Amino acid sequence: MTMTALSDGLAEARIEQPKPQRTTLWLVLPGVLWMTLFLVLPMLMMVYVSFWTQTTFAITPVLTTKSWVNFFSSDTYLTALWTTIRIWLTVLAATLLVGYPTALFVGLFVRNKTLQTVLLVLCVIPFWTSFLIRVLAWRPMLGKEGAINLVLQGLHLTSAPIEALLFSELSVVIGMTQIYCVFMVGPIAFMLGRIDPNVLEAARDLGAGFGRIFRTIILPLSMPGVVVGAIFVSVMVLGEFATSAALSGRKVNLLGNIIVTQVGSLKWAFAAVVGVVLTVIMGVVVAALLRVVDLRKEL
Amino acid sequence: MATILKLDNVSKLYGSLRALDGVTLSLPDNAYISLLGPSGSGKTTLLRVIAGFERQDGGGVLLAGESLDGVPAHRRNIGFVFQNFALFPHLSVARNISFGLENSEGTARPSAGVIAAKVRDIVALTGLGGLEERGVAQISGGQRQRVALARTLVTEPGLVLLDEPLGALDANLRTRMRDELRAIRERLGVTFLHVTGSETEALAMGDSLIVLDRGRIGQIDAPDTVYNRPASPAVARFLNCYNLFEGSLGEGAFVGPAGRFALDAAAAASKGGGPAYAVRHDRIEVRPPAAPAGADEVRIEGAFVASEYTGATQLSFFRLDDGRLVEVEAHLSHRSPAAYGADERYGLVWKRRDALVYA
Repeated sequence: MTMTALSDGLAEARIEQPKPQRTTLWLVLPGVLWMTLFLVLPMLMMVYVSFWTQTTFAITPVLTTKSWVNFFSSDTYLTALWTTIRIWLTVLAATLLVGYPTALFVGLFVRNKTLQTVLLVLCVIPFWTSFLIRVLAWRPMLGKEGAINLVLQGLHLTSAPIEALLFSELSVVIGMTQIYCVFMVGPIAFMLGRIDPNVLEAARDLGAGFGRIFRTIILPLSMPGVVVGAIFVSVMVLGEFATSAALSGRKVNLLGNIIVTQVGSLKWAFAAVVGVVLTVIMGVVVAALLRVVDLRKEL
Repeated sequence: MATILKLDNVSKLYGSLRALDGVTLSLPDNAYISLLGPSGSGKTTLLRVIAGFERQDGGGVLLAGESLDGVPAHRRNIGFVFQNFALFPHLSVARNISFGLENSEGTARPSAGVIAAKVRDIVALTGLGGLEERGVAQISGGQRQRVALARTLVTEPGLVLLDEPLGALDANLRTRMRDELRAIRERLGVTFLHVTGSETEALAMGDSLIVLDRGRIGQIDAPDTVYNRPASPAVARFLNCYNLFEGSLGEGAFVGPAGRFALDAAAAASKGGGPAYAVRHDRIEVRPPAAPAGADEVRIEGAFVASEYTGATQLSFFRLDDGRLVEVEAHLSHRSPAAYGADERYGLVWKRRDALVYA
């Protein structure tokens, strides 16, 4: 009797099994639908359009590789590609250089959780003003008559204003580093804050000085944060156009700027080519960064 | 016996709280010492001061006769085993164990061959063979405990501090690890200072037992001395096996709300920390209310509340007229558990000479 009751129960359980699976399906559906409609389809469309035939005033769905050949045979566009990669790598290095010590301080040396939160919020305060204002605010800072030059001259450290500060690649790098640094600080500080203080004390107890502990414990344990921060910064910098437009005096052309100009002059096919190139670069960068650390294991 | 560690009037303040209040003690070389204290008694603080994670506000710490004043934690040659083990989560078992040898600043780094040999030896000693390449998240709690121990012992520290090392293990494993800890220590001949909040663990483990009471040393003695003759009512309370009565010491008797307890001539040779009167749970006998007490006995009355059966013993609770609970422990090796009627009154009787009196 008990046995039958038991097997009856089992049968019921087996019948009810599919239910949770259907729930999973319903939970996944909205996301899949949204991504298909607004990410996958547009991307396929972009690839398709990049092979359309572009004339001065019109675009026709006749397949051709003309836009692609045009992109890879033009010095201007290849220079823009190279500039984009160069600026991306410089900004990535700069945000890491500025961001890691900041995160180290906030995440590891400040053990008071309230103070930690306050400091992280302080990092986000610049975001209370709009993106454009933050970028443009660098002009009175870096300009020929700007704050930095005035101070330097006032202290008699320089006799003439340094012109290279504004409307150069340097000003673009400075502006981007300031804007995107917090995306590096956040994930790293988060990972550092999760390190058990006892683990660091154990390392000290086993005879390791701070340098050793940093190299063997702190750095490896914070790597997932570095990778996530690098993905954030990379994706945003590679798609950038506004900072370079506002701070380079049109001297620095990124792939993003080219897309803006081409779309402005209705050159859809060509804009699509640049878009595909940019998407491929981002995909490769993100995939490469994810190879460094197995995020699923770490988070 | 040579002294390995000496604390001289060590004190530590957290704001206005005296976590350590003039602790003075010497630990002998090659011994297992357990340190018992309730939570908040300052036992972890004491270990952290010895290890160098915290600085004392006064007094001195000497290891093998040399002052540790100003010596940072990583140059002290003192091992520390954490309660949560604090293993390096990104390293394998073998790399956790070799960490101290590979990264120590104080001593010359041994060659890779020497490190491998030492790791092999300690892995064998702690019974971790076959797990060397596992990650520390892939092994059991008991194995993690062994890795924490092996990682510390492989650096050959002069003294090993263990902060509630068995606290994170389940009861079964805890008793087994007790024996192993003792065996490992005996093989290495190093002094272990084992901090615990469990009185049974403290009594079972230590060659000698230190009781810490609100930042001060309550008693240092052999475990059986501490158990049978606690130095103060506070120590008796931590041991969790004494009924304590308050009151005052009169002529030939101890008088309190619970009654008048006549004193034995020997018991009257009282200790400090009171006034208090203590009787061990298992020294009390339960008798029917009508039965009188003998000439050398003390008798009070209480109503039965409840009893707890633990297999080898029966612990019964009786409520006195003033509301206080008295615990009686009966060992069941030669008798079967008694059945008491709820709320019925019984006589609780003990020998005068079994009582401890504190002035």
